Amino acid sequence: MPVLGSDFRKNLNSAFYIAKKDAKVYYFKAPNFTYALLLPISLFLAFSLTGTVNLSGALSGLTALAVLFGTTSIEAVAVVLEKQTGTFERLLAAPISFFTLVFGKALAGVFFGLILAAGMVVPLMLLSGTGIANPVLFFVAVMFSSLTFSSLGVLVSAYAKWVPEAQMLDNFLRFPMAFLSGIFFPLTAIPAQLQFIPRLLPLTYSVEALNISVSELGSAGIYLVDILAMSLFSVILLALATIILRRKTT
Amino acid sequence: MGLENAIEVSHLTKRFGNLTAVNDLTFSVKKGEIFGFLGPNGAGKTTTIRMLTGLTKPTFGSAVIEGFDIEKQIVKAKGQIGVVPEVSNIYDEMNAWDNLIFAAQLYGVPKNERDQRAKGLLERFALYDRRHDRVGTFSKGMKRRVTIAMALIHNPPLLFLDEPTTGLDVQSARVIRALIKELNENGTTIFMTTHYIEEAGQFCQRVAIINQGKIVAIDSPERLEASLEEQPTIEVAFEAGENIKSKLQTLSGVVSVSDVGDKFRVAVENVSEAVPLMADFARKNSLKIICINTLKPSLEDAFVRLTGLNLEVMTREKEAKSRGASTG
Repeated sequence: MPVLGSDFRKNLNSAFYIAKKDAKVYYFKAPNFTYALLLPISLFLAFSLTGTVNLSGALSGLTALAVLFGTTSIEAVAVVLEKQTGTFERLLAAPISFFTLVFGKALAGVFFGLILAAGMVVPLMLLSGTGIANPVLFFVAVMFSSLTFSSLGVLVSAYAKWVPEAQMLDNFLRFPMAFLSGIFFPLTAIPAQLQFIPRLLPLTYSVEALNISVSELGSAGIYLVDILAMSLFSVILLALATIILRRKTT
Repeated sequence: MGLENAIEVSHLTKRFGNLTAVNDLTFSVKKGEIFGFLGPNGAGKTTTIRMLTGLTKPTFGSAVIEGFDIEKQIVKAKGQIGVVPEVSNIYDEMNAWDNLIFAAQLYGVPKNERDQRAKGLLERFALYDRRHDRVGTFSKGMKRRVTIAMALIHNPPLLFLDEPTTGLDVQSARVIRALIKELNENGTTIFMTTHYIEEAGQFCQRVAIINQGKIVAIDSPERLEASLEEQPTIEVAFEAGENIKSKLQTLSGVVSVSDVGDKFRVAVENVSEAVPLMADFARKNSLKIICINTLKPSLEDAFVRLTGLNLEVMTREKEAKSRGASTG
């Protein structure tokens, strides 16, 4: 199927160029890095002082939070800002599919997430003298975490009309997720009848996969389920974002 | 779809709730033509462009762009067109060069041609020296030029221009008008909306006048002007003299006379006899003619007659809106 193949390659290239442009215009700015790294550290330190968190989980927990807050913060406003300045229409007028556009937007978050994770992990490793048991699994987990949270940001951005609306919606989703995904207290502390709630949150799978790759405690099967769960979340979130954007813009 | 048509529109309709913004439009634009879309604010011009460029879905009807149906083959149709919206939509945070390269990437221009095309367009628009400057620092006219350059990066056979010169300084407007002419001479089909009637009259081979979502007339500017069939009129000014108006009224072949400042507007039965008639009148009354003009109905007259609108008010509204958009 050479035609399908060339179309696929063309769409992938277009998504990559949109991501590259977004990285330049929205992501790679000093305040974005500062916010994405400092907020998780502040939260973590606050909970450490109360003695409710175990510092051994810092590497995976902080990485997951940095990726969550970093990617969603920018992604949630990127489309809204483009809609306000009219540049989103430039993307809509281009010979690319809606899904390519939405995927390109999410892809920018993946690049940003990978850099944020490195920015969080490398100093932590140097300071604590700890290491990552399986760097390849860690990299894959960060990549899928970034894609999932970035897709969540795109969905918020597709739905919101204004930046404050996007930010409010973003926080409404992020903070409960941060506290219910096993970072600040173990999932076993949640009452049995509410145990299903963390399983509905993508951050739970991200933290679990990162934990396995950092400590190698946990089975390969669980890791695989985590990656599959994050893939499923990404597909659903991007599909919803595509539907909402298509409805809103046409 | 005939091969000679770049755009073929059939019963195109757009409704927003109870409001019918575009009502049953059917027309075609020939390849290589400059086609003007004239109408007051809210007439449906921009909604029509948005439907033809795939930004808005029609409620009813169809359109074929360069052989591609906008409903079934919209991605392919988009690849054939360049779109310049009313408000420049470029990335202020990026420089002019990066904006053009991004457009080239998005439209699938081969990698080895991107730099050459971007350079050519920036040179053509006198922006090459500023290529590394953030476009956020550019004037409105310069931003407009970057927007048009981005629309041309993939050499589209069809270009949509929504109010290309509204609110621009004289120099930028002249550059853009010259470019429209040059592009058309090189075979590009141009679909443009404008509220500058004289601009449409000057450039467009055909114009459609749209009012309240419906096309009320579609023809060449010359035919639209001729369709008015107004009373032939001349305008004449003399050096100082007494009772000129009443004397003019007594001439045979003169229907009526009115004052317009220092001039007299004289409606005549036959315009070809008007000039000798005035020369004879001046000689007999020892008057000196300062100027004499034949007044023909203009495209503006046709527009006003067909839409029933005050053109001055419309222009003021449009320019106020354009200023608002550029500052907002």
